[in-house]
Amino acid sequence: MPKIKIDGREIEVAAGTTVIQAASQLGIEIPHFCYHPDLPVDGNCRMCLVEIEKMPKLQIACNTAVADGMVVQTQSVKAATAHRTTLEFLLVNHPIDCPVCDQAGECYLQDQYMEHALHDSKIEPEEKVQKRKVVDLGPIMLDAERCVLCSRCLRFEATVTGTNSFEFRNRGDHTQIATFEDRPITHNYAGNLADVCPVGALLSHDFRFKMRVWFLKGTESVCPGCSTGCNIFVDHRDDEVHRLRPRRNVDVNRSWMCDIGRVEYKEIALETRLGSARIRKGSNGGTTWAPSTLDAALDAVHEKLQQAGSATAFVASPQATNEDLYAFRLLADKVGGMLDFRVGNPQERTQVREDNVLLRADRNPNTTGALDLGMGRNGIDTILAACRSGQVQALILQGPELLRMAGAAEALAAVPFIAVMASHDGPGLEHANVLLPAAAWAEVDGTFTNYQRRVQRIRRAVASPGQALPRWELAAALLRRLDAPLAATSARELFADIARVVPAYAGLDVRAVGDEGRVIPPDGPAPQEARA
Amino acid sequence: MTGATRVVTVDRNLKAGVGPILLGMAITFSNMVKTLFGRRYSTIQFPEQKRATSNRYRGIHVLTQRMDGTPKCVACYMCATVCPAECIYIEAGERPERDIEKYPTRFEIDLLRCVYCGFCVDACPEEAIIMSRENDLVGTTRAELIIDRDRLMDRGKLMEYGAGYRPDEHDVRRPVRVAALERLKREHGIVPAMPRRSE
Repeated sequence: MPKIKIDGREIEVAAGTTVIQAASQLGIEIPHFCYHPDLPVDGNCRMCLVEIEKMPKLQIACNTAVADGMVVQTQSVKAATAHRTTLEFLLVNHPIDCPVCDQAGECYLQDQYMEHALHDSKIEPEEKVQKRKVVDLGPIMLDAERCVLCSRCLRFEATVTGTNSFEFRNRGDHTQIATFEDRPITHNYAGNLADVCPVGALLSHDFRFKMRVWFLKGTESVCPGCSTGCNIFVDHRDDEVHRLRPRRNVDVNRSWMCDIGRVEYKEIALETRLGSARIRKGSNGGTTWAPSTLDAALDAVHEKLQQAGSATAFVASPQATNEDLYAFRLLADKVGGMLDFRVGNPQERTQVREDNVLLRADRNPNTTGALDLGMGRNGIDTILAACRSGQVQALILQGPELLRMAGAAEALAAVPFIAVMASHDGPGLEHANVLLPAAAWAEVDGTFTNYQRRVQRIRRAVASPGQALPRWELAAALLRRLDAPLAATSARELFADIARVVPAYAGLDVRAVGDEGRVIPPDGPAPQEARA
Repeated sequence: MTGATRVVTVDRNLKAGVGPILLGMAITFSNMVKTLFGRRYSTIQFPEQKRATSNRYRGIHVLTQRMDGTPKCVACYMCATVCPAECIYIEAGERPERDIEKYPTRFEIDLLRCVYCGFCVDACPEEAIIMSRENDLVGTTRAELIIDRDRLMDRGKLMEYGAGYRPDEHDVRRPVRVAALERLKREHGIVPAMPRRSE
């Protein structure tokens, strides 16, 4: 393995590693525009020039493989001068519209200018080549003037989606990117174009002018959109989520996420969010909802659970975190009765790809986790049959899935009492007698297990509305009323309980899961190791 | 208003008693005599009369306009970012004329929270927000003193006080650039060798 020295620090890296990769392993950031860790190397921006001993000219760090004994200087006078002059060229035709540009604050060009250049432009604004601005490409807004022609978008389209929508048009100073006849981007990964663009040339239409990025806090989380479980940042301010963007995880989603996942945040703040409990007025079959305090609603559920005993059925939700599922299972075990979660057989679709990039047919983030925790016990058909025959006196649902299942209405009508934990008002809830307000995914701590059986953490980014609680806390409140209180007081402690009880998760703890998740081997329990 | 400020030295060790009281009475009495017979007033007839303010006085804000009457502001949020009192609320929207793209659909300043530091004026890249010399702020409700975009722009009557704090070219360019150059020199030992335009 070649050993090289960068800025006086030695590192040994695998053969074939490029200088820019080796430097980033050392935590040294070499300025760059066209290099992207998940795209092929192009080497066109010339920004990453470094001085390498015994080489007569400066070399681009992104396309120079390391060789044993190489000595690299990234900040020598020669290299720094190159960075500055390269930037001056890149900025020759760049408009001065940072105040109106959404990229400001997370713009490579701005950052590099402040870090390396700080020159006065020799070009008067009127002398700059004018290009096309505010071109609407559907989910993306194109501003050709801001483009530095790094070709990241071209390479993304060529290698990730294979759609090749973008092209370079014209020559020299007048070169600009465009799509053929300004056709909109129609594939499901358009949002990534705004992410790969190092400047403000390609920007998200959805996020346009919504918020300045420096106000946003990014909470590390996992997309709840499908069983892939793309790693994301939930960008939020003042308890409002403004956007989701991918967080790099080479083993799951690299640097990408799909547009379906990207809009998952919109659901959190919908008008239909439930902030308080509701109880159906009158005896069973009443038609209107009466608002209720959470405690009164939980008392009502508790009373029915005691009456029904083992004639209760529990249906969990693969939208819930492992912690939610575990607490729900404890509740089911305490009361006795049937338990399952497989509404619509999600486990059959967990591995099915919807496209060749990321999206999977199973739109639940935690089907694998529900299977691991043994939530698939009696079968949904058995439960529905028992409902129909009147054996089920109370039905406790962790999510509204069963209420919306085709052909379930008749069975549901035969159950005298249905309680559902729901985050949103919506179709199907008319079957329920009690609604317990549940927190949405961005409002809870916990873990999801994705299709690879990778346990990944989600984190609380924003506060829940009103009295809404995480589903595990709702289950815990019922367990408390049943005189079987949970010892755990947080999702973290619940996960530790899971690691003790569920063999597959043995030895895991939240720290071992870390930011990139931890894969459980398909056969047998995980190795007994936890990071100290 | 006239004459140099008098410096009054107070002897904190003075023993309590009639002495200090008589001293105070003497000052009050001499002021009364001056006002009655010498016509040297210590007070003014506010609000008919107003004290003169500096032309850099930091009073209530003004949003400046383009020639066509639209706000100069491009909703870049610099003022809201720098504001230490967090009293500026902005919502941005798409401008119908596409050559400027962005403008504030809402721009509100909570004058009750504002500390009149003038940072918003310094931060603005467009000279879109300046300050007037208006300083007598009256309202009967709190909501009245959260002034919106249109009131901030329509300051015709209020401008009788005159423009207050506003940047000149010198102020706009210098502090940021000097700070940036100093950092470059301090942290990297680089002095950019770029030719500068004559200033």
